[in-house]
Amino acid sequence: MRLFFELSKLHFRQQMAYRTSTFSNLSVNFFFGLMRIAVLLALYGERESVEGLDLVGVVTYLALSQSLITFITIFGSGDLMRAVYSGEIATQLLKPMHYFNYAMAEDMGRSMFNLIFRGVLLFAIYDLFFKVTYPANALVWLCFFASIWLAWLISFAYRFLVNTSSFWTPNAKGMLRFFFTLSWLLSGFLMPLRLFPDWLQRIAAFTPFPYVLDTPVEIYMGLRSPNEMLESLLLQAFWVVALILLAQLFLKRGTRRLVILGG
Amino acid sequence: MIAVKNLNKHFKVRKHHKGRFAALRNLVTQDVNVVKAVDDLSFEVSKGELVGYLGPNGAGKSTTLKMLTGLLVPSSGHIDVNGFLPWKDRQRYVNRIGAVFGQRSTLWWDLPVVESLELLQHIYKIPKDVFTTNFSEFKNLLDLESFLDTPVRSLSLGQRMRADICAALMHNPDILFLDEPTIGLDVVAKERIREFIAHINKERGTTIVLTTHDLADVQKLCQRVMIIDHGQLLFDGQLDNLQQRFGGKRQLLVDFAEHYTDVNIEGTELLKLDGKQVSYAFSKDVLSASELIGRLSAKFSISDLTVQEPDIEETIRNIYEHKLLEN
Amino acid sequence: MHQATLYFRLVLVQLQSQLQYRASFVFEILSTAFIVFVEFLAVAVVFERFEHIKGWTLGEVALLWAMVEISFGLMDMLFQGFDPPVFAEKIRLGTFDQLLLRPVNITLQVLASELELRRIGKIILGIAIFFLALNLTDIEWTWIKVALIPCMILSMTMFFAALFMFGSTITFWTVQSIDLLKILTYGGSYLMTYPMHIYQNWMRRIFTFIIPAIFLNYYPALYILDKPDPFNFPSFAPFIGIALAAMMLLLAYRFWIFGIRHYQSTGS
Repeated sequence: MRLFFELSKLHFRQQMAYRTSTFSNLSVNFFFGLMRIAVLLALYGERESVEGLDLVGVVTYLALSQSLITFITIFGSGDLMRAVYSGEIATQLLKPMHYFNYAMAEDMGRSMFNLIFRGVLLFAIYDLFFKVTYPANALVWLCFFASIWLAWLISFAYRFLVNTSSFWTPNAKGMLRFFFTLSWLLSGFLMPLRLFPDWLQRIAAFTPFPYVLDTPVEIYMGLRSPNEMLESLLLQAFWVVALILLAQLFLKRGTRRLVILGG
Repeated sequence: MIAVKNLNKHFKVRKHHKGRFAALRNLVTQDVNVVKAVDDLSFEVSKGELVGYLGPNGAGKSTTLKMLTGLLVPSSGHIDVNGFLPWKDRQRYVNRIGAVFGQRSTLWWDLPVVESLELLQHIYKIPKDVFTTNFSEFKNLLDLESFLDTPVRSLSLGQRMRADICAALMHNPDILFLDEPTIGLDVVAKERIREFIAHINKERGTTIVLTTHDLADVQKLCQRVMIIDHGQLLFDGQLDNLQQRFGGKRQLLVDFAEHYTDVNIEGTELLKLDGKQVSYAFSKDVLSASELIGRLSAKFSISDLTVQEPDIEETIRNIYEHKLLEN
Repeated sequence: MHQATLYFRLVLVQLQSQLQYRASFVFEILSTAFIVFVEFLAVAVVFERFEHIKGWTLGEVALLWAMVEISFGLMDMLFQGFDPPVFAEKIRLGTFDQLLLRPVNITLQVLASELELRRIGKIILGIAIFFLALNLTDIEWTWIKVALIPCMILSMTMFFAALFMFGSTITFWTVQSIDLLKILTYGGSYLMTYPMHIYQNWMRRIFTFIIPAIFLNYYPALYILDKPDPFNFPSFAPFIGIALAAMMLLLAYRFWIFGIRHYQSTGS
């Protein structure tokens, strides 16, 4: 456990070295946010509210989404894939720590950095330029914090899981691309999920994707009642457990295959 | 062939402030340090020469080579290679030279070696008969047959080096620039490359400039050696001359016929006494080899003896450390 | 001309390497196409609910989308050598020096050194969206309008190429590629997929007078769709895109040549 946190801190510090790129990252993100907001507001036109999302709500949804995307690594990661393809995975597996935990610690360090320096900072910038809402009470804040941590865990687990495909195929990069692209659609990143037709929302509910972005954002915005929030958190927890189990299973199977085939 | 006169290359390096307000001062002021990578260099290389270019790391070897190959523009001075100003007429100049850099390959990563060579045929507009002749000759001399169809990314370092040298010569360049061609290779591979380089120089009269850290390369290939340090030319002349003028102590190993108790000779240093085997170190300024042998045979009975030249490394080290300049 | 044939030979080398892995090559194209598909799908399904965006229907927006995707895909495929992070690596690893040592035009070599074939997926989907646009709209075609389509594609391709070239030249000085440029390249392409009048005034003005993006896609589209011009620009506005883009590319090229000279003066 102790080792886990030490590793996380180490990776957090490593990310600090990239501070200077933060300015350009924030700028690019902010610019995209501006455009997304413009598009959605233009779509709304004369309407004041659609599916429970009013104009301020839309802006808040987009601003918060843009702020959280680096925290949940929405564009995907390929660390495990690269380690497998380069052969470096062999040395990693020899380490005394279970590789899954090692990768998680690394990801947590990185994500913590992104939460503070890309997340909170970015949202503060959006707040400067737009009117955004804040949680109404302590319960909402609490659920929101719980939700984003569960979201990160889900994101890490499914990224890790999809990376394990590299143990079986040389085309993992393409698979990752398919998978992460799908996550953009079904997580609420491209468009708020509420605005999708029912059939698409129902499809999304069968995947873990809404639970990494749409769920925490809607909790934040008070769009869910206390019962609904609890239900969301439980669903998130379900996905966390399911995905972690699957990821660890595939890691085991994958490394066995690697050992048999000789790397 | 190569004429370099008062060549200079200066780099402006931003001075990094330290201490308080360092970041602010760095931002505001523009203090620069001028680094003289090449300082008033002058030399000439005639057609057909095989020259070794030596120097410690950071001496200015790569900088000189970059200026000679047209990659870098000199700060000042005169440079003429084969009638060209290297950096000015790049495409036409580069057509007449070959260059091999030890660390990077000139060939295409994913292509089999033979296809890379064929591509070069088109790039250099090599006439078909020239290409075929060169190809078969180099293929044999460098023993490329076994990996002609292997992509460059799968080659070992030795194989890649042989392929690179072959590639550099296919278009019959007038000059060949070799930057550390034997670096990282095993002894057998080094020998093969050296033999090839010597052959090319002898049979085709290709002018060759070779930079290296490996003194054995120099000993086996070059008659002429240039030594550079801190951007300045420290020595330019024949290799034996180098040894003679700046060499360290020579050694004399003697096998005496009998045991002797006192084998000391004035003007020499007794290095080792092992039964009947004795080795002496002596400096040519104090005592010549023949004088020493004379004195020994006068006093002792000798069954065998050998004279050893000083280690070339020691010689070079002397030059670096004492910065002895050729007049 | 010798240099031109060399370009094609070098490009062929790239093709050969990438086609070596045939199965993954198809997969790569599919996954790239999928990205465009999903992004457009998100917009299309949301349009169901809203019917139009400030007076533009889905079909009309699809026209904008199609033009951008085809152009950017084309540029990204051919100009991958000038993609700033890719080029920056050439400088860092010293590969650029290797190019300087060959008797071939350096710009052609950089162009031919990379070819990201999988971007064809983007182009294919762009063409599909174009047909969707034709299906959903009632364009009254004239010869001028037909000629305008390839002009739009050419102008945007040159536009993005100019930005890429500019970004790569900067790496001669900065070594690392400048991320901010992504605002113009990826941001710019996103921007142009929607009608310009939806954006805030200040943003629209920047992309009219400083970066002439508005003339590359929006104005020609206004002309093709017979829509009124909300900004009352002169009547030649739909036709100057290609000239503006060519000018940008020329400027970028001049800067690139200047950059090479600087590189030769100072080394790496």
